[in-house]
Amino acid sequence: MTNPNLEEKLRTIIETVDVANALTEPLTTSIKNLLQLSAGSMKSEEASVIIRDGDDGDLRFLVAIGKVADQLLGMKIPSGKGIAGFVYSSGQPVAIADVGQESSFYAEVDKRTGYNTQTILATPLRHHGEIIGVLEYVNRVGEPPYDSFTPFEMDKAALFAEAIASLVNAYESAKLFRDLGEKMLADDNAGGGGGTSGFSEVREWLGNLRSTAEHREMIDLAVTVREIASRGAAERRLCREILEAVLKYSDSSNSLETSFLNY
Amino acid sequence: MELGSSSTSAAQDFHDIFGHVSLDESWKSRTGRGVNVAVIDSGIDTNHPLLQGKVVESVEAVAEHKRVLFAPSESGDSAGHGTACAGIISSIAPEAELYSIKVLGAGGAGDGQAFLAGLEYAIKRRIRLINLSLGTTKPQFFAPLHDLLDRAYQAGCIVVAAANNLPQPSFPSVFSSSLISVSKSEEADPFHFGFRYGEVIELTAPGVNVRTTWLNGGFRSLTGNSFACPHIVGIIALLLETYPTLTPFQVKSLLYSIARRNQES
Repeated sequence: MTNPNLEEKLRTIIETVDVANALTEPLTTSIKNLLQLSAGSMKSEEASVIIRDGDDGDLRFLVAIGKVADQLLGMKIPSGKGIAGFVYSSGQPVAIADVGQESSFYAEVDKRTGYNTQTILATPLRHHGEIIGVLEYVNRVGEPPYDSFTPFEMDKAALFAEAIASLVNAYESAKLFRDLGEKMLADDNAGGGGGTSGFSEVREWLGNLRSTAEHREMIDLAVTVREIASRGAAERRLCREILEAVLKYSDSSNSLETSFLNY
Repeated sequence: MELGSSSTSAAQDFHDIFGHVSLDESWKSRTGRGVNVAVIDSGIDTNHPLLQGKVVESVEAVAEHKRVLFAPSESGDSAGHGTACAGIISSIAPEAELYSIKVLGAGGAGDGQAFLAGLEYAIKRRIRLINLSLGTTKPQFFAPLHDLLDRAYQAGCIVVAAANNLPQPSFPSVFSSSLISVSKSEEADPFHFGFRYGEVIELTAPGVNVRTTWLNGGFRSLTGNSFACPHIVGIIALLLETYPTLTPFQVKSLLYSIARRNQES
């Protein structure tokens, strides 16, 4: 395909790749740094940030530190399995003093990693009331037998979880916009352009996207806005007015909706 | 004593009036016989040696056309948590009849929806005592949960919920008027629970390194508010066996009275 604007096209590709990396990499590094700091404070040997993977309650390890961190990364936890699955679906923090080997889920993970999980603390990662993952601390620094995690440490972990959850939420949003950027670029390269044909292809991609409904809706909205913006100045103006009205409505209804929490 | 306007003086006045309700100790030697207890959780391992014959019914949430239905369950416990709660209840009220309502790890419906359906199922079945070691912070569940808790209260179902131990409030544990909410203490004796009148989460019960039943016939030492909740459920099962017609309000008054006596002793 001959492209009359080759220079511009190349610049778009470079910018998109740069933005893609700039969006997510610093965030996972920040999550890892904060996790490392919190694990030191919790006197824990291993720690991990586990995030939702789709809408069915499945989870996956996003960031891990410790001896078997590399083996954990990307590993999936099926819906409701293990303490992470329970904490994610129930919202309740839990500590187990003596995980032991007969517990089916951890026995399976330990078998794959060669690790020996003995004591564990898991607390939910929440962002705006939504549970978006689980923060886990496993074992203690030093030699076994390990002291169990205390109620004080459970409270401390909840505070670390609040900070880490903000970063995880930013990561999830950035990753989706990165994926969207890559997809649009791919469509442009395939000749789809920014018109209706490219729009429907992106829509199809969105339908197949393995992400949560909330994030799919968010990115769907971004795609729609992009499509409207490409249609002309009148459409852009109307779209902006409607979106601003929605924002005003949301501000007023949110103040009502949350008033019951201010007891 | 002069009536004050602060919550502290209100608590003191309340104590003066109801803190000395006369209650003999015979309820402590009961076993929970004939009391139905629902455990809305991750299921119960009915083959655990300490739980065999105690679970009279197991159902699990099944998503069908965006609705949540309940079908007989043979999948046991996917996480261990429900088995742990059942073991705690059973350690205090060994003859209570347990109903496992599995809403976690059953697949299908997402967070909140299955949990609400499980609570509705237990209320419709008129199960007398409901253990809810779960909660949600999603504002959209506030109204439906509030409605369900009111229905439970009117139906005479006693709902006991665990606080979430997190900075933000979770539902339904903050609905203090229509249910009994519990957080963990380091106390080891289940009969020595506490009552914090004027606090959002009123009851405290053992919840630190609690030794209880786990998957595959095992045992674990567990920490969390969700293990304090079944201790209070066990205590209420004993009270309900002793005084079968107690209303949710009366149960709370008794718990308050017993806790005051605990604190004085």
